[in-house]
Amino acid sequence: MSLAGTASAKAQPSMLARLFARQELALLVCLLLVLAFFSVTVENFFSVRNLTNVLGQASLPLIAGIGCAVVFISGEVDISIGSLLATIALPLIIIMNDTNSLLLGISGALLFGLIIGLVNGYLTAYAGINSLIVTLGTMFIMRGGVYLYTGQRAIPDDASLDSFIALSDGRLFNVLPYSAVIAIVLLAAFAYVMQHRPFGRQIYAVGGNQEVARLAGYDVRRVKFICFIISALLATVAGIILAARVGSAQHTAGLNFEFQVVAATVLGGVSLAGGIGSLTGMALGVLILQFLSNGLRGLGLPTEWQLVITGMIIIAAVAFDEAKRRRANGG
Amino acid sequence: MSELTHASAPKRFVGRQLLGSSQLVLGAILAALCIAISIAAPQFYSEANIIAILRQCALVLIVASGMTMLIITAEVDLSVGASLAFVGCIGMAVLNSTHSLSLGMLAALAFAGGVGLFNGLVVTRLRVNSLIATIGTMMMLQGGVYLFTREAVQNHNQMASFTDLGAGYVGAVPVPVILAALIFVVAYITLRFTTLGRYLYAVGANDKAVRLSGLRSERLKLFAFVVTGLCVGVAGMILSSLMNAGQPTAGRGFELTVIAAVILGGTSLLGGRGSLFGTLLGVLVLKVIDNGIIILGWNQDLQMVVPGVVIILATYLDIIRNRANVR
Repeated sequence: MSLAGTASAKAQPSMLARLFARQELALLVCLLLVLAFFSVTVENFFSVRNLTNVLGQASLPLIAGIGCAVVFISGEVDISIGSLLATIALPLIIIMNDTNSLLLGISGALLFGLIIGLVNGYLTAYAGINSLIVTLGTMFIMRGGVYLYTGQRAIPDDASLDSFIALSDGRLFNVLPYSAVIAIVLLAAFAYVMQHRPFGRQIYAVGGNQEVARLAGYDVRRVKFICFIISALLATVAGIILAARVGSAQHTAGLNFEFQVVAATVLGGVSLAGGIGSLTGMALGVLILQFLSNGLRGLGLPTEWQLVITGMIIIAAVAFDEAKRRRANGG
Repeated sequence: MSELTHASAPKRFVGRQLLGSSQLVLGAILAALCIAISIAAPQFYSEANIIAILRQCALVLIVASGMTMLIITAEVDLSVGASLAFVGCIGMAVLNSTHSLSLGMLAALAFAGGVGLFNGLVVTRLRVNSLIATIGTMMMLQGGVYLFTREAVQNHNQMASFTDLGAGYVGAVPVPVILAALIFVVAYITLRFTTLGRYLYAVGANDKAVRLSGLRSERLKLFAFVVTGLCVGVAGMILSSLMNAGQPTAGRGFELTVIAAVILGGTSLLGGRGSLFGTLLGVLVLKVIDNGIIILGWNQDLQMVVPGVVIILATYLDIIRNRANVR
């Protein structure tokens, strides 16, 4: 305690610099700059309606991003989440059409998601196959499976349950979309677990240095196994919200979604190498990209330009981050 | 760790190495597939069908040759699919305006090589993880191609030499197959028999050791990125010749097929380990499966499911075999 005290006393002038060295703060500044820029240039950008709309849109990558970040921090990757979105919409919609019960539909979807997580996790953690290969494989299998089952046609939601539609249309206090509320609650819960619960620290330890984690007595395989299950279940939640939004099970749902989430997660400072990053950073990364694309649309730029600019920003942000890290390490 | 050192060690016992290689597993899978399909559908072994398979292999093999080198240096390029589409459009546009196949080809190679150079510089100079850097490039190219052209660039002058690039034959062999074979052989010789090839393995196995021994590891990686880009340039021109147009929507998911073939061939994503011969087998397995699904009259959507299973299964078999070898 006294050590820390003297250190901070010595470093008084550089307090600000140290604060800026914090990944999250730099990201927050970026987000504020984006918000400020578009508030000035785009009419109605800085309105409650638009801002909450963007939050609603951001809920999908936010929810799936939690899982993506957790898996990254454990030192693995999961690129099957896009296909998973399309896959779990099938049991969801089919069960709801048959039983008229949202609860049963969601249970079915979560069960499917759980199975996918179990498979990804088992093959990676226990069978020892590289997670990029495993999830590339399951990505193909799931997308192909959805095409096979649906004959490449959307399955409409005939039940039209009010509670299901509320997932896309409903707003808490008529302001905040329910999907954003779900995202914020999940984010807060998982951020707490990652920072303050033993299991969260175990994930950091496993991703940071597997050998040391093993010697410290952690069950490395079990930790990774659970991370994949978390990722699949959270992607399932995102998939349920997406299905509610489009009102059907779309065979093309979530195409390239995994790249969008991976990009935002890395932009948020979560390292692919494992052990580094935070859920707050990931969330800021998602929000920056979402507000950026919303603002660019507001400026009347076509979607193509949004893709180009997003691509450039991702590269620039990661390059900047890398340069900063090297300077911090003295070379 | 033991795998890495094993891979970069000089290969002395050819017989033992063959037995212990993942190619054997893959070769067996390929043979079993061919036998099974030909029993179910005898037309599998017809000349026309074999040529069709080879032609479909050509595009993937060309890009996979470069990608194998790149993955051996422990990097990866996800932008090849988006680049393939863009290259086809640019090549076709230049061909239309200049009426010269060589200028069109040159433009395609310059563009694709430029994309490779850009990826390589971002990864080696700015130190951005290649998975992320090339996702970024992929987005830029996907957006860029639509800014370049909203619809397919049609072939206006129908030059015979351009059509031959995709659809022509030399004797009984399709031109794309010959091009693929040429590129494959050059890449194979480079990786297997030249110092440059050994350095590429070394960079992938232990980047730091390579730097400490006075080599510029960045240059070697840059080289692999540019080679991959150039391969995409050739493939893009062949594809636009086959489709008789530059399609901005072409190449969706192509990067995953290429990487799947390379991984299936036993090249490690960690770098330093792998072979082009394995990649050739990987491409053949994937395309024979595709072909089998078609001639057996099965639902073509299985063309996504089966490769997914095969990639996981083949990698798993490889791991089991490695464990058995260690024991």
